[in-house]
Amino acid sequence: MVDEKRDQVTAPGPKVGVYVCHCGGNISDHVDVEKVCEDAKGIPGVVTVKNNMFMCSDPGQQLIMEDLKNGTIDRVVVASCAPSLHESTFRSAISRAGGNPYTYEHANIREQVSWVHHGEGATEKATRLVAAAVGKARELHPLEPFRVDAKRHATVIGGGVAGLRAAKDLADRGIQVVLIEKSPFLGGWTAHWDRLSPTEDDVSELIPELCRQVLDDPAVEVHTCSQVISFEGFIGNFRLGFRKEPPAEGAYAEEIERMKQSGADTGDFIPHVGVCPEPLPEASEEQTVETGVVVLATGFRPYTPRKGEYGYGEIKEVITLPDLIRIIAENRRAGGGQLLQVNGRKIRAMAMIHCVGSRQIPGIHEETEGRPLNQYCSRVCCGATLHAANLIRETHPGTRIFDFYRDIRTYGRGQEEVYEKASDNKVLFFRFEAQDPPEVSGNAGEGDFPVSVKVKDTLTFGEEIETKVDLVVLAVGMEPNDVSDLVEMMKLPVGADRFLLEVHPKLRPVELSVSGVLVAGTSQAPFDVGETCAAASAAAVKASAVLARGGFVELDPFIAEIDMGKCKGTGACVEACIVDGALRMVEMDLDGEKVLRPEVVPALCQGCGACTAVCPENAINVSGWTLKQYEKMVEMIVSEKLAA
Amino acid sequence: MSGRENEAKILILATEDCAYPGANAVGQAHMSYPENTYILRVRAPVMFPERFYLDCFEKGIYGIIIASCGVECPYEGAYEALASRIDKVYGMMKERGLDTRRLRLTGICTVCTRAFVKEVNQMNELVTELGPPGTEKKAA
Repeated sequence: MVDEKRDQVTAPGPKVGVYVCHCGGNISDHVDVEKVCEDAKGIPGVVTVKNNMFMCSDPGQQLIMEDLKNGTIDRVVVASCAPSLHESTFRSAISRAGGNPYTYEHANIREQVSWVHHGEGATEKATRLVAAAVGKARELHPLEPFRVDAKRHATVIGGGVAGLRAAKDLADRGIQVVLIEKSPFLGGWTAHWDRLSPTEDDVSELIPELCRQVLDDPAVEVHTCSQVISFEGFIGNFRLGFRKEPPAEGAYAEEIERMKQSGADTGDFIPHVGVCPEPLPEASEEQTVETGVVVLATGFRPYTPRKGEYGYGEIKEVITLPDLIRIIAENRRAGGGQLLQVNGRKIRAMAMIHCVGSRQIPGIHEETEGRPLNQYCSRVCCGATLHAANLIRETHPGTRIFDFYRDIRTYGRGQEEVYEKASDNKVLFFRFEAQDPPEVSGNAGEGDFPVSVKVKDTLTFGEEIETKVDLVVLAVGMEPNDVSDLVEMMKLPVGADRFLLEVHPKLRPVELSVSGVLVAGTSQAPFDVGETCAAASAAAVKASAVLARGGFVELDPFIAEIDMGKCKGTGACVEACIVDGALRMVEMDLDGEKVLRPEVVPALCQGCGACTAVCPENAINVSGWTLKQYEKMVEMIVSEKLAA
Repeated sequence: MSGRENEAKILILATEDCAYPGANAVGQAHMSYPENTYILRVRAPVMFPERFYLDCFEKGIYGIIIASCGVECPYEGAYEALASRIDKVYGMMKERGLDTRRLRLTGICTVCTRAFVKEVNQMNELVTELGPPGTEKKAA
């Protein structure tokens, strides 16, 4: 059987198999996959064309593996999503089938076709990209990956819950860790909270416990007041520079003041501030660490409402949920009371407004310069808001609460009960549409309530309702911390929502496209504390998997390679090389003659291809990325044979 | 889209560290741009000799955008070498009567979605106006 099949394939040269993915409609809703397959059959070198609903699924990968095993094909082209998602998936499938993983080329027909083009042209473009990939695949040759020693060391950036959790988990696997935190404190935003929804965990116990575990572990070196200033290298061998310096004038002023007032020692927990593990530095100092992996745990910041948004910044009784959480804790420490108090002012009635700075809609919400809209749901604010409402109703039963919401999303274990409890606690709910948000206005001199909130309540079929209150609390959403410096330095992928973007949301949820760099916690998306810890532990496991492989990492062998049959020894490549010593002229024996020819030093070559451009004979190329491959791709793109 | 529009093919050489993920971000945001655009992933565009660009125009590519990492180039010194090579290519294009605006060197970062779409639209307008390479009227 097998031999018969082999006999059928008489065409000389590489035998390319093309596999086109529907991506469950993501591709096939806009690209006619059947037509792409039909047209792909006519591309020179193609011996088989198949498609699958999900090429990345086991059955999808099986299609490729079977064709490889029975000798039908020896080059693979998959047309699917961006190569950053699944190039490694398909390379690995080829390896498992006994093939060489570098005999693979990827055609990106989702991010660069079906998601950006919706007309007829989408199908033709997809076909041309497949043809270009086939053109390259025919020029591919088997390659062997390099092995490079890996530093058994991890760097965690960010000292909030995610960073602390990841650092401790890595240390538990016997890996040396450096934790870099830009503020003087550990604990992140969680340290600013009080009791956590829905489990009532007390932050003043959780954070000191976690900090103690990290600070007591000799494998973890913690640097606060420190910021990353340089980053270079590759997986297993990064060099990361950071600067430790006194906080800038006015930075963390409130927290530092609270620390002074509390009389806390280094290592003590300061409520609503965190743990300060070491004295503030007095001078600026720079350090470099050699590290194998990096975990980004740079966290979030609460949304700051725009001036005038629900009266914020104009009416002093309008505050945010983080403000309220501190007030609740302060009231409890002061012994409770029938009514909640804010700066000595008794709160008889208060309003809470959901979705402030979340689920913003273009056209309804205003985009201001430098502040794009947050179109996502911040997920945790509904639970946190209702949890705060319960705490108030249970501790200060005289304080009435009006809750204004668009939708309630108390997702997750134990959260729905918080919602029900709020109802039992007689929190009064009003529902509004995004285009009719509550109107908050000050009542100077009018009655004895300083603020009124007016809303068109859809629960009573659009009735206009006005409530008079002493306090308005805005349930602000979560935004990623500004890490544009790291994004630039480390070439990190960022999503449309400005959070860091994982390689794959389901299959590789804590890895970033920069190999050896992982993401943990709310720098990736809004998470609650439990989810953050889960993500951080996952990142720690992924990081230790890199370092536990026996002291080495495997790298793609994409470096310069010389075709000695073509080389005339002009030395132009050595002159053009941008890395000192990566290319050098050496004397060698050629047909009994002593000649000077270039030689590549693999450990130094970065594979940029500066040499390729200057060689008059095209005798030097970066393996896997040769000039000829590009020429073939261009030929296929302009090919008239493919015209629809 | 008519066949004629799709003839005006634009080649985009996108660096794997910056512009290529930037182009993917455009897709993730479901923004839209013309279909006559073909993105090739490159490690560093410094690898292409002058003749590669001229050959592309000869083969019928209407416009080329080199979407590089700009000064953020991970290969130190490569961007400068690229920029001076592109200057040479411009000279060679002039000699052949090719409008130099058909070749554009720009920097696109991993999140520069709007910049990407703008560059593509501008090049598309230009090549639509200029027509096939080699047919442009001599500039006055």
